Amino acid sequence: MTEHTVNMLKAVQEQEIVDPRTGPIAMRLSDVSVAFNGRTAVRDVTFDVPANNVTALIGPSGSGKTTLLRSLNRLHDLTKGAKVSGKIMLGEDDVYGGNIPVTVLRSRIGMVFQRPNPFPTMSLYDNVVSGLRFNGVKKKSILDAAVEESLKAAALWDEIKDRLKAHGSTLSGGQQQRLCIARALAVEPEVLLMDEPTSALDPIATQKIEELISQLKSRVTIVIVTHNMQQAARVSDLTAFLLMGEDRAGEQIEVAPTLKLFSQPDDPRTMDYIQGRFG
Amino acid sequence: MVATAKTSQTAVEAEGRRPSASTRGAYEWTLLIISGLFGLVSVWFVGTIIWQSASTFKSQGFYIFTGLNWIPGAGTGSPSQYGGRAMIFGTIETSLIAMVIAVIIGTGTSLAINFLLPQKMKTFVATVVELLAAIPSIVYGVWGMLVLAPWFLYTIGPFLSSLPGGTAIFGTTVAGKSLLLAGLVLAIMVLPTFVAISREVIGAVPHELVEASLSLGATRWQTLWKTVIPTARIGLFGATTLALGRAIGETIAVSLVCGGVIGSSFKPLEPGVTIAGFIATQWGEAVGSDQIGALFAIGAILMVVSFAMSVFSRRLVARQRRAAAVV
Amino acid sequence: MTDSLTTQQITSAEIRAHLRERSSATLRRRMATSRIMTILCWLAISLAAVPLVALLIRLFEKGTPVLLKSGFFTQLPQQPTLFDQTNTGGVSNAIIGSIAIIAYATLASIPIGIVVGIYTAESDSKFASTIRVVASTMVGAPSILMGLFAFGLIVVQLHLGFSILAGSFAVSVLMLPVLIGSTEIAVRNVPPTLREAGLALGAKPSTTSLRIVLPAATTGIVTGAILAISRAVGETAPVLLVIGGAYAITWKPNDPGSALPVTMNSYVASNFDSLKDLAWGIGLLLVLVIFVLSFAARIWAARKQKVQR
Repeated sequence: MTEHTVNMLKAVQEQEIVDPRTGPIAMRLSDVSVAFNGRTAVRDVTFDVPANNVTALIGPSGSGKTTLLRSLNRLHDLTKGAKVSGKIMLGEDDVYGGNIPVTVLRSRIGMVFQRPNPFPTMSLYDNVVSGLRFNGVKKKSILDAAVEESLKAAALWDEIKDRLKAHGSTLSGGQQQRLCIARALAVEPEVLLMDEPTSALDPIATQKIEELISQLKSRVTIVIVTHNMQQAARVSDLTAFLLMGEDRAGEQIEVAPTLKLFSQPDDPRTMDYIQGRFG
Repeated sequence: MVATAKTSQTAVEAEGRRPSASTRGAYEWTLLIISGLFGLVSVWFVGTIIWQSASTFKSQGFYIFTGLNWIPGAGTGSPSQYGGRAMIFGTIETSLIAMVIAVIIGTGTSLAINFLLPQKMKTFVATVVELLAAIPSIVYGVWGMLVLAPWFLYTIGPFLSSLPGGTAIFGTTVAGKSLLLAGLVLAIMVLPTFVAISREVIGAVPHELVEASLSLGATRWQTLWKTVIPTARIGLFGATTLALGRAIGETIAVSLVCGGVIGSSFKPLEPGVTIAGFIATQWGEAVGSDQIGALFAIGAILMVVSFAMSVFSRRLVARQRRAAAVV
Repeated sequence: MTDSLTTQQITSAEIRAHLRERSSATLRRRMATSRIMTILCWLAISLAAVPLVALLIRLFEKGTPVLLKSGFFTQLPQQPTLFDQTNTGGVSNAIIGSIAIIAYATLASIPIGIVVGIYTAESDSKFASTIRVVASTMVGAPSILMGLFAFGLIVVQLHLGFSILAGSFAVSVLMLPVLIGSTEIAVRNVPPTLREAGLALGAKPSTTSLRIVLPAATTGIVTGAILAISRAVGETAPVLLVIGGAYAITWKPNDPGSALPVTMNSYVASNFDSLKDLAWGIGLLLVLVIFVLSFAARIWAARKQKVQR
């Protein structure tokens, strides 16, 4: 049982549910909608992402949670016909405003994907520093230090420190995913987006990463999409529940501190979902 | 179309269904015998070419590689000279020009098709590229000769000559025909083949890798150069060797535009010869086993080079595949 | 390997600061490079498209009137003179000759190529892999070598002379490796579960192959055959060396004959513009035939896929 869960249970017993949004806010979403070729995929999402906390996006498939996540680091720019409306603020900056170049934005908001995807032609070392190199860092001493630091933060340093020149495929799935986390962390992002990071991993690897997530939040704000609500309950501080509406667009049903959403949700639909009434 | 069915072979192996000698029936024997027949044909193929060229190699020795003169001795009383240097150099020069142009433009084209063109156009473009790759080389040759050569004569040639040191570096064409033109025609001819393969290979790079790269703050070009192309490099190498193989072996497209003159200078604008082109143009005039044997001889050189390239590239691809493993 | 002692001296804050500094210092250059390279890629695709489009346009422009001219398909070739420059006749002899060559070559190479392709797909013996390597090496071999081979074997050794047979032989040697390769791919692409199911029912391996696997691979095999034929149609060099040349219409294997690409090759060097135009016409004819074959292969492959779904 992770420390997080222990604290959660203590809080339940003491009826002390702290809303993390009372603290500093990392990102603000206001009426965010995403449409593809005119067809809305997710609409009118409004909530704050608290800094140094884990925010989970949950909901059945089709509810638009991944679509919403990808709008945060402007990955939809790659898709022709995609339109993101509303306002997304990263600190003082408008994510879709003109003043941050998208490459800078993406080094402030990192991403970890569903399936581990280390760059196949690079060694482990090169994978971890790839982000730094993209951003123009060349000094070996800095790169070496960053490798050690990120791999330690991803709880992978001890396992691979002796074979940094090895190839990505020599790692297990869970190790590869932690490598990708280290890679994302190396560019020192403020926010780390995670798109179902453990869905392709076995239970032990999943547990390791969930523990890692709890450790990482002191260093970086985390937004995680997961289709596994138990996972959301285990790792997150704030949970947003999305559901596909009648117009086949995802909409935000409820956003609340995790403890509250899972024990006393306001919306009956949330209650139905967490009780497993629909998938 | 990449053959990805190695797994099916191992799966079938596991079934233990490989027939041993005792269980071979009519079906297996038929397959074996016909395959043996093909093997025989291929051996005869290599053998014929080597056999017919043997006497020339004996009489010319290394001259066939280094010599410039191609003078049959029949009737003149002096021994024949069959020097293949001009053809060998011509083949190398035209192929090199062709490959440099084709790889650079072809890679840029494949990147553009995959990343710059709208999604909807992709199947259309893929079809067009495959059709272009099917156009026979003689069409390229005729177009090169009747359309490009005059252009070279009246525009490119004077332009290059007017550059400082122009004529000295580039030479002058004969009616526009030159090794440079041949290289250009080869490049245009080989481009669709190269693009057909490289487009597919670049498209096969998982999109997640592209997204991961961009998510680290890389620019679009950094992603293409540092992530996509390295990931696709095995396939790109295969496309290159395939195109190169076509280039060195091409006969008609080259013979119509290279000028057909055995020269000692290999300046790009000068006319020249390639091995395959020379064989084709000289064939009609070759009389007697002496001259024909000489043509076989340079054909043998071409054959050895082509086979060596094929073996080499296969080994390299296999080694790269093993090194990269599957991630 | 990194020396932990050294890297401990570089703090996390230092890394962050260095990163921020480098990132903003290189930002403009990186973005400019990306923009320039994007433009260059657009340039590349334009440079690739322009000559190919120009070629097709010129081909259709010059070739269509020739194809439409009466007699192109039906008349024998004639020799234009200074006084009668347009008296070119047609290319009927070359058409028949080409058809004959392709037909004989197809008849010879398709059965053999398919059988060998099946063998290399199903067997994992050393001999099979040797054959596979040989076939794939020959696919990339210069086509003129096939002409030399046909000369050495058919014309000289067998004393059959310059003939349609020799031309067909050269073309079939050209087609064989291509067929072997495409057949092997088609057979290997049949899902292994199909073969396993057959064997599980107790069928002999040969029966499984003949009754289950090969029928499933038919689409791919036929597609490969059509594509091999379309490649053979335009091949000039191997045929040029051994066909001999004939004015009359003939399809007898023993006779010297004519072929479209060979005629095209000789006409293009002519002094008469009318013959040069005829070369364009032949070129267009070849391209049209090849396009039709390619489309046929595509439609065949697509239709069968629909049925399988």
